[in-house]
Amino acid sequence: MIQFLQQMINGLSIGSVYALMAVGYSLVYSIMNFSNFAHGGIIMLGAYFGFFFLTLFNWPFAMAFLGAAICAAILAVLVERVAYKPLRMRNAPFLYFIISAMGASMFIENFVIATIGPTFKTYPTVFSREPFRLGPLFIGRLDTMMFVISAICLAALIYFIDFTKMGKAIQATAFNPRASALMGINTDLIIITVFAIGGFLAGIAGVLFGMKYTVYPQIGFITIKSFIAAVFGGLGSLPGAVIGSVILGVLETLISGYFSSQFRDLISFSLLIFILVFRPIGLMGKSTEEKA
Amino acid sequence: MRKFWGIFLVLVLVVSMVAVGCGQKQEPAKEEQKAQEAPKEEAKQETTGDVVKVGWIGSLTGDQAVWGQCEFNTVKMLVEEINAQGGLLGKKLEAIGYDTRGDAMEAVNAVRRLTSQDKVVAIIGPNASGQAIPISTVLEEMKVPDIATVATNPKVTVVDGKTKPFNFRVCFIDPYQGAVAAGYAVDVLKFKKAAVLYDVADDYSQGLTEFFIKTFTEKGGEIVAKEAFKSGDTDFRPQLSKIKTANPDIIFMPYFFKEVALSANQARELGIKAVLMGGDGWPSEVLLEMARDAVNGSYFVNHVDFDDPAVQDFKNRYMKKYDRKVELNGYLAHDAFLMFVDAVKRANSFDPVAIRDALETTNIQGITGNIKIGKDTHNPEGKEAAIIKIVDGKYVFQQKYSPSK
Repeated sequence: MIQFLQQMINGLSIGSVYALMAVGYSLVYSIMNFSNFAHGGIIMLGAYFGFFFLTLFNWPFAMAFLGAAICAAILAVLVERVAYKPLRMRNAPFLYFIISAMGASMFIENFVIATIGPTFKTYPTVFSREPFRLGPLFIGRLDTMMFVISAICLAALIYFIDFTKMGKAIQATAFNPRASALMGINTDLIIITVFAIGGFLAGIAGVLFGMKYTVYPQIGFITIKSFIAAVFGGLGSLPGAVIGSVILGVLETLISGYFSSQFRDLISFSLLIFILVFRPIGLMGKSTEEKA
Repeated sequence: MRKFWGIFLVLVLVVSMVAVGCGQKQEPAKEEQKAQEAPKEEAKQETTGDVVKVGWIGSLTGDQAVWGQCEFNTVKMLVEEINAQGGLLGKKLEAIGYDTRGDAMEAVNAVRRLTSQDKVVAIIGPNASGQAIPISTVLEEMKVPDIATVATNPKVTVVDGKTKPFNFRVCFIDPYQGAVAAGYAVDVLKFKKAAVLYDVADDYSQGLTEFFIKTFTEKGGEIVAKEAFKSGDTDFRPQLSKIKTANPDIIFMPYFFKEVALSANQARELGIKAVLMGGDGWPSEVLLEMARDAVNGSYFVNHVDFDDPAVQDFKNRYMKKYDRKVELNGYLAHDAFLMFVDAVKRANSFDPVAIRDALETTNIQGITGNIKIGKDTHNPEGKEAAIIKIVDGKYVFQQKYSPSK
């Protein structure tokens, strides 16, 4: 029983990492109807920004954290302006968006390798590595912090989407961009906002990921799991992204802990395919009217 | 306009590719930048009658970039030094290196390029078995010898009892290394219960695991848990939680420093107190940066005692030139280069086949020990392993150890 509880804690910790990343995919998908594969690159850049703010500029942690999120938001908007907006303006085929996203992702990764270098960067110790103890259970401080920060960010995001004017405009644009534009909504601004929010969350995810593990140019690769989680939960649905991530994290952990880690990806991806065959819109996927 | 965007996309991809080509810089330091730009520049030079090309392959990017960069820096430094002394057999040497990115396919491509396009007389590297094993067919086809640096899997030089004619190495092998670790854990540290966490997707990790378990159980120890992960994983807590319930005295972690650091940190976060132990995939400054406290008191098997007087001169020369500490791979790249120079001198020729023949009878004193190549194995025979303990962020030599003793 203790081992099961420990494994559940491990799973929730991994799930919360996936969730922060998956929300960025879902948010962009809900508006643009395509998956922003450059999201992993933005997460990686966020991690580097946080690292440099802490080590080169000696900023306090909160400031470095916020600075990294803002920089990542700006870069996400820049990626949209350079890689997607021109395609959008020309009504380019869907495939072009995917290729452009992949190109942007490759560019970001290789740009970092060429300028910063391919080796690992280790975050300075901001929080003690000493875990909290709950009897025989061990809960990492950083894991707890990640869980709390993820929950706050996601709650704030859901509030923003559901209760603010801009949030309603985002929902309207997700529902029907053309009609929204005709009704006076500046869809271009909506898209900028969505990318900025996605980038902000990516920056936060990047800093947390960097602190938890390490920073290197390929960390964006882990976002493939969060993308899968987003699809699993239902692309375009924010609660779906969170629920999909938590389920995937816990599932992977339980498979590794009770069967074998060699079966982890095999079983979790088989389940994903199973879900998609019987419910192609994912667990929490909704019809277009209820997106975002 | 579609055409315009087609061109734009192609440009983005081209820029990315160019970035990959040039993107081998480790740190913003100037020396490092020079080191990384070197392969491209050197590859442009044509072979002349007075210049002989020596190849190097290894990871300049990817997880093991720290090691690969150190190796290539070492080879270039030694080439410069030998050229400054008048060259080898009256000719100048030129080092040409290609990045394998830690990938087997890239390694094969790099060897093909070195042998067919650059016409190198011998190759040094790569730094891992996963890339050293698949290159043998190209070496045999092109008849160019290779001296692997830290590729410890037996299959690098011998497969199914047959020696690969053009593959050599300068390091000891996994069966020996695994046995050393297990022997030391049982005989010296007196541990009885061991757990193993290993990388199921890596030849090196699998080999070490196999031979560690064999020796540990033969010596009366018990393997209480054996858990696996896959290269690229970042979270090891599910496996470590399982290992924790088995309550081992020692956890054997036969994989590379990044994963060692992550898994060691996570083990401590789960309250695991067991001693950690590993192989030659451990030693790196990165390990200490990432997990200084978590690996405190751990042991690993190494090719060299970093405090040995024999290595100090090389350490200092490297530090002076590159303003950074030499990594483990640098010591072995150094000795691989010595093997090459010795073979050329004894063969009195730059003919790759003559160099190969001379390599088979190598018997020299390197900085990592005596290197006497076995004709039937192409491995250095009788090289003793060094046991290193990590104490307060320092690598502290314990003793030279051989499991037969």
